[in-house]
Amino acid sequence: MADYREAPLATRPKTLDPAEYFNLSLDQRRAEEERAGLRAQLKRQYQMQLNNPHRKELIEDPALTRWVYARTNPYNHFRATKKTSLLGGLFGVVPLFVLYYVLKTDRDKKEEQIKAGTYDRKFKLAY
Amino acid sequence: MSPQQLNMAAVGFRNWARALSKGKQPGFSALFSQVRAASGPSKGMLPGPYPQTPEERAAAAKKYNMRVEDYEPIPDNGEGYGDYPQLPDRSQHERDPWYSWDHPDLRRNWGEPIHWDFDMFIRNRVDTSPSPVAWHTMCKHLFGFVGFMLLMFYLGEKFPSYQPVAPKQYPYSNLHLERGEDPEKQPEEVKHFNI
Repeated sequence: MADYREAPLATRPKTLDPAEYFNLSLDQRRAEEERAGLRAQLKRQYQMQLNNPHRKELIEDPALTRWVYARTNPYNHFRATKKTSLLGGLFGVVPLFVLYYVLKTDRDKKEEQIKAGTYDRKFKLAY
Repeated sequence: MSPQQLNMAAVGFRNWARALSKGKQPGFSALFSQVRAASGPSKGMLPGPYPQTPEERAAAAKKYNMRVEDYEPIPDNGEGYGDYPQLPDRSQHERDPWYSWDHPDLRRNWGEPIHWDFDMFIRNRVDTSPSPVAWHTMCKHLFGFVGFMLLMFYLGEKFPSYQPVAPKQYPYSNLHLERGEDPEKQPEEVKHFNI
């Protein structure tokens, strides 16, 4: 396990992270304890609501509300930068013109062939 | 959609209908009114713009239930993330399966900040967990085998090898009568072998 090399797109498991073994500074420990404290607070809130016998409604998760709101309202914070304009143009404007050009030339070629009588209809069902 | 998302959608729809029916602005602009129902979260609890000052950062960290040191907003490049935090791109596959999560199938606790791409990282979808064998080994094995098979089949096409064959030899003077030829006529002698 000493020569473990993680895959390029995957992550190293936390149990094989050398920082966990050697980095035992007080700051790290304090940080972990603070995180555990926040987690415990949230757990407590959830359990209080879950086990409340008078509760009739569903438990609302504000983190979920925030996530949904953030995902559905990106245009409030949208700015037209070089990258966003490029992406917008690439996905929204260029396909229109490219598709028009490709389909038009293809159909025109087929029309010419039909007019000249050289069009080969494969899979024709009726004569 | 979960019930609270349906609730949210219903609230939004009701609001929209109300704005249309008795909004101060006539017509199309009534759809974009900034009025929101008071039954949902307050403005301070919802995601906002990218934090500029350290106080805004601290407030945003508190809002998302994160430590101030842990909170890192997604870099502001105009793509509309606002102050949403940048969480590690780890799939839910990597989380401890034996811990008692509040939502065991999602391996998530109530109130925990959700990754922007959470719906991609659920356990039915993208998996970022480490592979059992190193990537370069897997690549070598797969492409080595496939490449070798392709090469061998190509060589087999180029240099075919089979048992020697000759045209089929028929008895009775090359089946003279069966082929309908004149029975009186003498068939020609065909020699198939040399002894």
